[in-house]
Amino acid sequence: MAFVCKWCTYSGADLAGTSRMDYSPNVRMVRLPCSGRIDHQFMIKAFEQGADGVIISGCHPGDCHYNEGNYYARRRNTAFRELVGFNGIDIKRLEFSWISAAEAIKWTEIIDKFTEQVRELGPHNPYAELVDPYAEYLAIGQESA
Amino acid sequence: MIEEIRNQARHLLENGEVDVVIGYAEGSDPTRTTPIFVRKVEDVDKLIFDERCINSLPLFLNKRHEFPRKGWKKTGIIGKGCDIRAITQLIAENQLKRDEVFIISAPCEGVVSHPEKWDGKLHDGNRATKCTDCDVKIPVDTDFFPVDKPEVDRTAPYQVTAPQVANLMSLKTDERFAFWREDFDRCFKCYACREVCPHCSCNICITDRTEPSWIDPAAHKRGVFSWHMTRAMHLVGRCTGCGECTRACPMGIQVDLFNQRMKDVIQDHYDYKSGYSMEVKPPLITYKVDDREDFIQ
Repeated sequence: MAFVCKWCTYSGADLAGTSRMDYSPNVRMVRLPCSGRIDHQFMIKAFEQGADGVIISGCHPGDCHYNEGNYYARRRNTAFRELVGFNGIDIKRLEFSWISAAEAIKWTEIIDKFTEQVRELGPHNPYAELVDPYAEYLAIGQESA
Repeated sequence: MIEEIRNQARHLLENGEVDVVIGYAEGSDPTRTTPIFVRKVEDVDKLIFDERCINSLPLFLNKRHEFPRKGWKKTGIIGKGCDIRAITQLIAENQLKRDEVFIISAPCEGVVSHPEKWDGKLHDGNRATKCTDCDVKIPVDTDFFPVDKPEVDRTAPYQVTAPQVANLMSLKTDERFAFWREDFDRCFKCYACREVCPHCSCNICITDRTEPSWIDPAAHKRGVFSWHMTRAMHLVGRCTGCGECTRACPMGIQVDLFNQRMKDVIQDHYDYKSGYSMEVKPPLITYKVDDREDFIQ
């Protein structure tokens, strides 16, 4: 799962696409206006829904389209990483990187490296196993509806 | 000491300087105290202050509650040092104005952790955890202090990692997960930890919002993990460590360990201590260009 900033990383990934570079197909990107918009709730929800790893990415410091969004994102993620670690989720499953619109190569490298890293850790079982005891009843309800 | 506090409260109410004094009164049994809202001069004698006064009263200054909306212009409040840290933090976050509150404080040598453990005096067996390493026995900023206030040097670095946090941090990641998994198994989402927190300020909490439903309201473990992470994340750099969330938890989950850990992280990274200054902004709403970023690729 990748939460990316619209101005830098998304454009960088776009450049990687238009330049026909290869990278792991395991990533699903969510485009957001700024890395400062990336709420911790998104990451929590991603883990809750069974994501094995989460990438957050935005413009380099000083390059933010909104001048300062990525500085706030940096502080927030410093805290969030520690929190995730304290909670017992491996922080290797959480990646933060600065990728500009021109750094298509860095994007492909980060994705490949991170995919490899998460693959070594395996599926995120401990969290995924915490199933809702009523899930199957809900599923039955949905089928009949 | 309590006579001076009562006299001050009487004086404030008689002169109309405050509309209400929030303090402690005798509770339903001898081991308990209860919060009291004194609006009439004749009720002033009900006020007490001793080691049983564990409740954190700044909760009632939070705008989430109906009390600040009653049209009271100025509130008098009796607080321990840790309560006054919470008030200071509320003022730093613009939740409250300094001139809206008259702070009455008293020297505090610690409070009892749970009313059930009260046996007439305070000792190591029943002292609250937060009192062990307390550095605000002489409160920071008060309007009235019943005895002569000694000068305290607060420039010394204050960083105490709670022993349980240190224990948890020494475990491996999956062992830590197992610990929380066992603990959170008991959580049934009564949200007492939220209700008792002086810093949870949202009128509608994110867990109460159903559209979009960020946190599953059902009390299954995945939703419980999400709730406690969200709660801890919302209190990063704001929690003043009053420990009320753990005390309020009916299932005995130590939910404040998250906050203790985040306190250490924030002190480590940004050298910020919540509740000591009304001017310094909390760390997550400000930034420095040269913040540490060793985790970033």
